[in-house]
Amino acid sequence: MNLDWSIVWQSRWLLLEGALVTVLLTVLTMLIAVPGGIVLALMRGSHFKAVALFATAFVELFRNVPLLLLIYWAFYVMPVLTGLGLSPFATGLVALCLNVSAYNSETFRSGINSIRKGQTEAGLALGMSRSEVFRQIILPQAWRRVLPVLASTWVSLFKDTSLVSVIAVGELAHTAMQIRSQSFRVLEMLTAMAAIYWLLGYPQAKIVDWIHRKYGVRE
Amino acid sequence: MTAFTRKNADKPPMLVYDKVRKNYGNFTALDGVSLHVNAGEVVCLIGPSGSGKSTLLRCTNALETIDGGEIRFEGRPLPVADADMRKVRQRMGMVFQNFELFPHKTALENVALGLTTVRKMDAGEAQRRAMALLAKVGLADKTANYPANLSGGQQQRVAIARALAMEPHVMLFDEPTSALDPETVGEVLNVMRNLADEGMTMIVVTHEMSFARRVGNWVVVFERGQLLEQGPPQQIFEAPTTERTQEFLSHLGWNG
Repeated sequence: MNLDWSIVWQSRWLLLEGALVTVLLTVLTMLIAVPGGIVLALMRGSHFKAVALFATAFVELFRNVPLLLLIYWAFYVMPVLTGLGLSPFATGLVALCLNVSAYNSETFRSGINSIRKGQTEAGLALGMSRSEVFRQIILPQAWRRVLPVLASTWVSLFKDTSLVSVIAVGELAHTAMQIRSQSFRVLEMLTAMAAIYWLLGYPQAKIVDWIHRKYGVRE
Repeated sequence: MTAFTRKNADKPPMLVYDKVRKNYGNFTALDGVSLHVNAGEVVCLIGPSGSGKSTLLRCTNALETIDGGEIRFEGRPLPVADADMRKVRQRMGMVFQNFELFPHKTALENVALGLTTVRKMDAGEAQRRAMALLAKVGLADKTANYPANLSGGQQQRVAIARALAMEPHVMLFDEPTSALDPETVGEVLNVMRNLADEGMTMIVVTHEMSFARRVGNWVVVFERGQLLEQGPPQQIFEAPTTERTQEFLSHLGWNG
């Protein structure tokens, strides 16, 4: 077999740029989907039936549609429905946020529900309002409990961002695929892509393990 | 036997329960309970588990809503509006069976939280107050500890300090020693006794009969959501008028 690894080195700046877009997508998605998940979780617990129903429908829809389909949907259908002409990057971001917000909502909901009722009562008994109790007492405790799950979601998301390559977002997977199809260096580029994902993903996974050990169940 | 006069009987009572009813589905937790508490009194609520004493306490600061009758605090019915009830709650301290300290905050932060959040007091002043209160319950050296690093008795004393921080007019104790190891019960009861000596109005749901006997000014016996009997401790413990009270007390090994 005739391998030529120099293509990887020649493409280093393109690959680096792709990797940066991948990281940017992951960070932006989480920055939006973490508060989004909290809001959805609160909405699901709302006393207003319509609000709770909307949040439930949102979560169950976007959690149970394949992410790949959601990305295509955001690319082809969303502009028609909303009249918005978003860039591929923004479109990919929207799809990822819809999906990850739905997951985070369930994460936060179980975290919030795991804090026993007495904690809320202790806050109320001091004269605190429900929102003060939530911000000062419930959320900080729930946060510790959901952190390991959020960290796992992060690592999955980091890899799943590769799916937005199908709508030509110039992240790592798309960039590598482009170089592959121009250079016909299939094996080299796919291997390089795997290596880069692994090198970036492995430390994150290790950090997640550390978070699990540090913040895992403790009372 | 001379007639027993309750503390501050000449003044309007601090708390009045007027035919209070509470249902959980088909279960009647409080079946028309009428009772009053005067300023400075230590009223002990005793009776079998599930007889309604904790429910009455929880209705007092509206952690539970009542289904009938009325509760009046300092002359006024408990407000319905949430914002008004929050103001009333600041005048009622509550201590829970399971302490319910905030595990992510130190002892000092637990005590200061109500002051900074509800009273909007500045952090320094709140800390000084919290420090003084922790010293008062004998925990001056534990201010930086998290609840997980305190014994049950210490946690409950922090919880008492946390409630006292709001300068309540009445303290509600919901089985404050039931979750404690026997060796730490005494330190909590001591703090409560000191509070009583200072003239704090207290309502105490308890299974500690010796505390009710020695510290209580008025003892109320509950059964199945109703008041079986109420009176000064001497009467309840030495000459109970109902057979059920006698039975309940003898079950607890109380022989007068």
